[in-house]
Amino acid sequence: MGDSKSDVLQGTLDLMVLKTLESMGPLHGYGIARRIEQVSGDTLSMNQGTIYPALLRLEQRGWISSEWGTSETNRRAKFYSLSRLGRKQIEEATENWERVAATMARFLAPS
Amino acid sequence: MDTLRTLLSRIASLFRRRHLDADLDDELRSHIDLAIEENRKRGMTRQQAHTAALRSFGGVAQAREAYRSQRGLPILDQFVRDLRFGCRQLLRSPGFALTAILTLALGLGANTAVFSLINALLLRPLPVPHADELAMVTLRRSGDSELRFSFTYPVFRTLEKRHDVFQNIGAFTQSTIQARGSSGNVNVPGNLVSGQFFETLETPPLLGRYLTPQDDQKGGASSQFGVVISEGFWRTWFNSAPDVVGRTLVLANSPFVVVGVMPRSFIGADPTNRPEIYAPLWAEPIIHAPYNNIASGYHSTWMRVITRRNPGVSLEQANTALQTETNSVLEDSVSDPEWLKGMHSQHAQLGAEPGSTGYSYLQHAFAKPLTAVFALCAAMLLLACLNLASLLLARSAARERELATRLAMGASRRRLIQQLLVESLLIAVLGTAVSIVAAPIVSSALAAMVLGRNPGATLDTTLDLRVFAFVAFTAILATLLIGLLPALRATSKNLNEQIKSGSHTASAHERKRVLPRVLMGLEVALALILVVGAGLLAASLTRLYRTGLGFDPKGVVNLSLDMGKQSLDGDPLTRWYQSYGDALSHQPGVKNVSLASITPMDGDIWTRTYRSALSGGDKDLHMNTVAPAFFETMRIPLLAGRDFRWSDSLASGRKIILNQSAAKLLFPDRNAVGQQVSADKNSYEVIAVAGDIHYASIREPAPPEAYIAITQDTGHKSSYTVVVRTDGQPAPLAVAARSLAAQMSPEIPPPFMISLSNQLDDSIRSERMMAMLSIFFAACALLVTAIGLYGTLSYATARRTSEIGIRMALGAQRLQVVAMVYRENAWIAICGSLAGLAVASLASRALSSFLYGISAHDPWVLIGSVAALIFIASAASLLPAMRAARIEPMAALRAE
Repeated sequence: MGDSKSDVLQGTLDLMVLKTLESMGPLHGYGIARRIEQVSGDTLSMNQGTIYPALLRLEQRGWISSEWGTSETNRRAKFYSLSRLGRKQIEEATENWERVAATMARFLAPS
Repeated sequence: MDTLRTLLSRIASLFRRRHLDADLDDELRSHIDLAIEENRKRGMTRQQAHTAALRSFGGVAQAREAYRSQRGLPILDQFVRDLRFGCRQLLRSPGFALTAILTLALGLGANTAVFSLINALLLRPLPVPHADELAMVTLRRSGDSELRFSFTYPVFRTLEKRHDVFQNIGAFTQSTIQARGSSGNVNVPGNLVSGQFFETLETPPLLGRYLTPQDDQKGGASSQFGVVISEGFWRTWFNSAPDVVGRTLVLANSPFVVVGVMPRSFIGADPTNRPEIYAPLWAEPIIHAPYNNIASGYHSTWMRVITRRNPGVSLEQANTALQTETNSVLEDSVSDPEWLKGMHSQHAQLGAEPGSTGYSYLQHAFAKPLTAVFALCAAMLLLACLNLASLLLARSAARERELATRLAMGASRRRLIQQLLVESLLIAVLGTAVSIVAAPIVSSALAAMVLGRNPGATLDTTLDLRVFAFVAFTAILATLLIGLLPALRATSKNLNEQIKSGSHTASAHERKRVLPRVLMGLEVALALILVVGAGLLAASLTRLYRTGLGFDPKGVVNLSLDMGKQSLDGDPLTRWYQSYGDALSHQPGVKNVSLASITPMDGDIWTRTYRSALSGGDKDLHMNTVAPAFFETMRIPLLAGRDFRWSDSLASGRKIILNQSAAKLLFPDRNAVGQQVSADKNSYEVIAVAGDIHYASIREPAPPEAYIAITQDTGHKSSYTVVVRTDGQPAPLAVAARSLAAQMSPEIPPPFMISLSNQLDDSIRSERMMAMLSIFFAACALLVTAIGLYGTLSYATARRTSEIGIRMALGAQRLQVVAMVYRENAWIAICGSLAGLAVASLASRALSSFLYGISAHDPWVLIGSVAALIFIASAASLLPAMRAARIEPMAALRAE
């Protein structure tokens, strides 16, 4: 594991999942994991398996819902989709992130 | 909101675990399959695709575990796992489990039973609204040892009018009421109550209305006195008739009108009574005929006074108000200056006591004995817990290596303690379950003991919320007592030390065994205390029974007749009594029959002052009116003179029989027979001197007593008790007595029968209860201690098998081995006994007020108790010792 890769920060994975579902529509766990890997490039080290407890956590909070369906290659898979509460959560979390990022940026900017 | 939703979803998932597991497996499989598919598309071989898919997924097992702990409630899962483990652990040694559960059930059950009795008698508030506002009015006089709760009619009527601190002031008195049913008159438990009684208790009636001050006046509210009946009486007597209000009920041969029905929950103001009929105080002369307590005025105390305080008035304030009003109340009530002077010189003071539990004399008679018994129970429970703690300690010693290994492998100590505590919780819960099943049976048996054979007395000992809270508290306490010490102990060692020392190093061995020894020593000490207590109480009871009573109660049966409300009086009534006695004397097995107004230990006391030419003033004598053959029937010796005869009429001159003490008091150094004594301007000829007998108490010495003849009784419609000496069965006699009474006088209620022995037992029932319970607890304590000593020594010896093998291989004799093992417990027993003896000699002083004719430090009891304990301890220790001596050295060494 190189220095350039960072572990997924607690809490960020939730937002990544929600954001993925927002842009891609209903998707199965493998698809979500792949999409996160692709978007983050090679900067993130993530075991795909960790996506499942996160998905369950989001479902327990009512932000996403799940349903068994068929994949584009005709395989049975569980599809996750964003709920109304989830969309609201994205707004809140995004705002939150931007505020944190802006604060951090001010600290890191050369003075 | 989020947390709540998460929690609900977690809880919901607990019930669909299997389904969800399968679902997860399906999902993970489809994930891997999708990954393989994509990898294949990129041109990997099947094998490569598979490996790559698994690599990018990470650990499947870890993901599944993380998922599961996110899904369910991990703490609960863990608890269930511990519970399963604990069950397996208990099932592996069912003998231990059974002993543990039963000893604990015994301790907990005894506590629960006694507590529910205490709860029923002393703690549970009356089932009325705002019971905490109730107060009992009391009277304190300087000469009295206890507060008085009993009041005279005039004092109550004055109190009743004062409302400065009280909303309502009511009076009640327990009364057996003759009610006429389809088959003649029957005695029914009832209450006479004052006008404000129901207003004080604030319970709305089920039907009609309750009694008010308008009912409690001369002649009643209308032409007849109104009465209120209980729901039970309404159902059985009136067959639940909806039109019962307004109907006539004949009480004491007079018509009363039913004005209301009280609901089943209403029990009046005495928790040990269930009155069926409530009649107004003013009807007392009818109900109690031929007696009239109202007319007796300030000479007769017969009612309890219960009040409801005004809102905002504390008990303290009410008490002070009553204290300051005392003199004005007494002066308004009674005009006799002599009486007032007497009250004044005795510093008479009214007061208020808490009344939320109502009033019963049993509360005062049994508060101390029950507290003592409760202390015994607590000691028993502590002993049971100590015993289990020692056994668990010995058992967990065998698991030390396992636990140390688990600690070394990263289990947290908290986790292990938790697991071990779950085991003791399991024992405690099972023990509690057994005790909850058994406790109600025991407590109702105890309640029967407390109540005695009083007709109509009951006590509701059902388990209520307070008892359950108590049970839960004791169960948790027991769990911690049993489990915490062994758990802390077993997890305290690190693996290093454990592996280094093994189980054989002598020094480690010695050090490790101090704690179990202390525990067992404490147990022995506690057992000794219980045995000493039981020994003292039992010896005291035996002495009570061995007291020379002056008469022989064996085979004597009492039949009390209620003749107050039938039509005969004077000589015809005396003749009725004579012929009733004659008829009874012809029954099979009957040897003698006589009559008495008071039978020994029936609770009544009647005194009168007599004087003689030599007595130097008036002497107080206990009195009894008896028929001929009373002394013969009771086997009281006539020391001189002759018995009464049926022919001794008033015209032939008043006759009196004195007992020995009375004769000595009135005629010192002189033969009393033939002499004259006088009382109330009447002169009596002493015709005989009889032996002394205990009159109202076995504890107190026989008082000076005088007997007068039934044929010279000047009272009206006096009720007597028939005393019958029989060597036949009492049951057929009771039947015969009833049918004879019904034949000869259809108006009277059936006679109440009790054997004189039972009456004596009843008079010392608190002593009997304490002695029986303490003997039971002491026996249990000895048994439990024996089990504990046996069990811990067996475990310890089993762990020393190889050591003993080596000793024997080196030439130790079998007898030496027996002595070595036996010595371990001998020391525990001796040290424990000494400690117990020291504590017992201090604690037994608390018992001294319960003891009769024996010192709290009676040497025989102390020596006997120590001997009993040492004997039990020896018996319990010899078995493991002998087993140890049978160890084959070769086998023991090879097993290593």
